[in-house]
Amino acid sequence: MIEETFHQISPSEFFYRNRDLAGFSNPTRSLYTAVRELVENSLDACDQKGILPDVHLSIKALDSEQPDPKQYVLTVSDNGPGIDPKYVPLAFGTVLYGSKFGLKQSRGMFGLGATMAILYGQITTNKPVTVKSNVDGKTQEEFVLLLDIQKNKPIIQKHTKKDHLKRGLSISIVLEGDYSKAGSKIREYVYQTHLITPYASIKFDGPRKAEDDHQSYLKIIRKMPPPPTIIKPHPYGIDVETLRRMIADTHYQIPTVDNKMIAKVRKELGLQKKNLDVKGILDRAQRRWKNLSRPVRIVIALISFLQMEFDSLSKIRIDDIDVDNKKLTFWDFGESITRTIEMNPSSFYYKQLANTVQGETLTSFLAKRFQRVGLTTAIKFAEFAKLKPEKRIGSLTNEDLVKLTDSLQKFDQFLSPDPGCLAPLGEEPLGRGIMKKFNPEFAAVIQRGASAYSGFPFIIEMGIAYGGNIHSSGIEIYRFANRIPLLYDEGSDVVIKVVNEMDWPRYKVKGDVPLAIFSHICSTRIPYKTVGKENVADRLEIERELRLALQFLARKLSIHMSKRGKVEMAKKRANLYSKYIPLLARFSTKLAGKKKEPDCRQMIKVSEGIEEV
Amino acid sequence: MKKSKNSKIAEKKRIELLELLKNRGLEIYDDLEKSKFPKFSIPSRSVSNIVYDKKLRQYILGNSTAIRSAGNMSQLRAFTQLVWLAFFANQLLSEQKTSTLRDIYYSSQAFEVDFEDQPESDNIIVDLEAVLARAREDFQIFPEERSSIFGDLTIEYTVPGYEGKRSNLSDHPDGYLIGPSLNTAEFVDTSAELVIAIEKGGLFTRFVEEKVDKKFKAIIVDTAGQAPRSTRYILRRLHIELGLPVVILTDGDVYGEHIAMVIKSGSANAAHLRELTVPDAKWIGVWATDIEKYKLPTIPMTESDIKRIYELQKDPRYQHGNWKKQLEVFLKIKRKAELEAFSKYGLTNITDKYLPQKLELAKSL
Ligand SMILES: Nc1ncnc2c1ncn2[C@@H]1O[C@H](COP(=O)(O)OP(=O)(O)OP(=O)(O)O)[C@@H](O)[C@H]1O
Ligand SMILES: [Mg+2]
Repeated sequence: MIEETFHQISPSEFFYRNRDLAGFSNPTRSLYTAVRELVENSLDACDQKGILPDVHLSIKALDSEQPDPKQYVLTVSDNGPGIDPKYVPLAFGTVLYGSKFGLKQSRGMFGLGATMAILYGQITTNKPVTVKSNVDGKTQEEFVLLLDIQKNKPIIQKHTKKDHLKRGLSISIVLEGDYSKAGSKIREYVYQTHLITPYASIKFDGPRKAEDDHQSYLKIIRKMPPPPTIIKPHPYGIDVETLRRMIADTHYQIPTVDNKMIAKVRKELGLQKKNLDVKGILDRAQRRWKNLSRPVRIVIALISFLQMEFDSLSKIRIDDIDVDNKKLTFWDFGESITRTIEMNPSSFYYKQLANTVQGETLTSFLAKRFQRVGLTTAIKFAEFAKLKPEKRIGSLTNEDLVKLTDSLQKFDQFLSPDPGCLAPLGEEPLGRGIMKKFNPEFAAVIQRGASAYSGFPFIIEMGIAYGGNIHSSGIEIYRFANRIPLLYDEGSDVVIKVVNEMDWPRYKVKGDVPLAIFSHICSTRIPYKTVGKENVADRLEIERELRLALQFLARKLSIHMSKRGKVEMAKKRANLYSKYIPLLARFSTKLAGKKKEPDCRQMIKVSEGIEEV
Repeated sequence: MKKSKNSKIAEKKRIELLELLKNRGLEIYDDLEKSKFPKFSIPSRSVSNIVYDKKLRQYILGNSTAIRSAGNMSQLRAFTQLVWLAFFANQLLSEQKTSTLRDIYYSSQAFEVDFEDQPESDNIIVDLEAVLARAREDFQIFPEERSSIFGDLTIEYTVPGYEGKRSNLSDHPDGYLIGPSLNTAEFVDTSAELVIAIEKGGLFTRFVEEKVDKKFKAIIVDTAGQAPRSTRYILRRLHIELGLPVVILTDGDVYGEHIAMVIKSGSANAAHLRELTVPDAKWIGVWATDIEKYKLPTIPMTESDIKRIYELQKDPRYQHGNWKKQLEVFLKIKRKAELEAFSKYGLTNITDKYLPQKLELAKSL
């Protein structure tokens, strides 16, 4: 067997390995992606704190004389909460550092968008990133950062503070880009972002003088959708790895036996001032056992095995409690060595320790850590999964874990995921955006009820528009996911698939008509096909909801189309009659051998008004 | 020497038709004056309304009619086109001018009645025939296809500029074209006792060369394949006005048999017209049974030949007698023979041997 070697990869390696997936494949796409990542971070930050966003995006060429691709300064500033100066270097200096891993609806998901953009900038131009953060509306702290690519660590080149009244974050990177090619997509992105975020003001300043490079989009509405909330995961869709992590952090942590803890133990035993030997402590603890807190009970158990009173206890650090092998390992500060002692399994304290280390019971774990699971359901579930309800989660073997994960997907009595955490845009704002963009002859919108795919709740919002300033060369499709416009990789997107599979003639849509469709998918987890976040995979449940939404809208459209057909018919009729009736008059006059033609004006007028006979 | 019994018949017909058109015009005029949408009722030409009339021995239209109304938006254009055509026919008749199907299509363009193509205008012409129960030749519209006629028949033209002028149809060895002037000419005199209609131009020429007209006292007509309506019209006039029997000679195949049948009793396409048939005409060959009997060189039938046989077997006119029998033999031998096949036995074999035998046989048919 060949032995595999594992090693950690550096951020730059990470970047190179994932640049295509993350949307940094070439100067055109990279400029676009960098704009996206920064703007979306700003909007996310404001959403989370319920602030109506004001975002300013600016792209300036370092040397405008040079041909593309060249270096651009990309700056995005917002009026959001800013980032606590402590975390600025971490948030922007390391890959996979993000605050959005919890389950809630946000644009960012992976914790690498901004860092990828910064890395890309640094790799292509060797220039640092400048972050200005103001969290309190009083001082602004400015950081100039380079990433130490070897160590995955930020290097702070400059850190200054100054008085400043406006809250928010501003981030500025220098990167290689091709605006001549990316420009139209960036402008479209800003515009569509404005449509799907009608409560935000977005100002855009591009590198060119042209008018379309200097646009201010003002808020269309001033009411924010409620900020998304963090929720517990739903059992459907959980995987083994996530479950393992959840169990790991529910484990009752081995308490650190520091001075603070010792003080706590003394207090609960009423020994603040008094020192007792080991036996004395244990006796006293026995008498008060019922009133002791859990951490204190554990310390007592440790004392029983270590045979140490408070003083000695403060000179060691517990390293490991191996319940299965009945071994207790600790570090002795005094002698600077690791010692291991045996624990007597028949002792009352051993059980106490085992319970704690092995964690809570399966049922209480499920009920506490998952949404839509109560104790009763948990017990029913345990039966279904053929696992003991009182089984300690710390004692689950790998096979147990797989079995548990499996059964969680299969058990059909969990209520569907709670959509309360989702923040769709709402029918009215969506409709307004559509009216503003197209000034259409007809428009309709719908928000479907919440639904779920593998444990993640989602909501589909959709709009349709006909006529106005929509072009009539095929259906225009505008895709959004968690308020992000998706402009690339249309080919493989589920929305496109659903639109293309519609039986349009059935809805009186024939040939190339001026038709536009807006689709917005909100979810705690959008099933993107890549980390570039550009196209949504075709999950059965999502596809179905999209289809139902589209059919609903298409039915409304078809009613409009038949009305419209009637009006057109009447027009056509009027034209026909005003053309042919005079001809009939003329021919029949000749045929009949008359001189004067009959007067048909009345007839033509009447025929314009009548319905088909 | 026989004199045409129906002299001045053409003129009488013309006056009648003008009157008919005028009445139609008046109806429309009156409707328009009353702000009423004018309409026509047109005998339906759909397949379900075409029936075979045993007494008349031809296909006719049944009783169902379709209303074409100016009040119906989808019919307005066709209605106007129909009225325009009536107007145009009225003009042709009064000025004694003729026109072709193609002419009509182009003439219409001056009046903006919007025929999309010639098939559309052709179709409106058939509509007018049905409305008036008159053939288009009656209102001076002729197809482009022409067939020929040869033999001792003196005619007197009635077309403007030639009124009173006479010709004898044996004056020109290529024969006379059967066109509008011949169709409207009056028959003055003939020595013929028989009309032979023949499917092919080549054989027609051979018959003239071999003086079949003299030998058999015959007028020879080239139908040039499926006989055009003007040709069928002439054949009918020769039979009715001059009392001449008509015999038909075609290729020995299912199409030939049907050419003969159409001359005798019309086609479904012209079921709305009554004056195009010669119910007493006789098909004398080439029969399927002749192929064997005269040992003619043959060619195999094609798929479509065979399909056509099955189709015709459903036609009521092929349900009995020789018509039925020949179809069955064709189907059995699955081979066919052209008129030219007789040349195997010498160029004059067909006129010297086959024709006399067949004419003799025809008397007993
Ligand atoms: N404008 C901002 N205001 C406040 N906090 C911000 C801002 N931009 C980024 N952050 C913080 O920095 C973190 C890292 O951002 P980053 O774009 O790298 O990851 P993400 O947005 O969580 O995920 P994704 O990779 O999908 O974009 C965010 O999770 C957020 O906590
Ligand atoms: Mg982000």
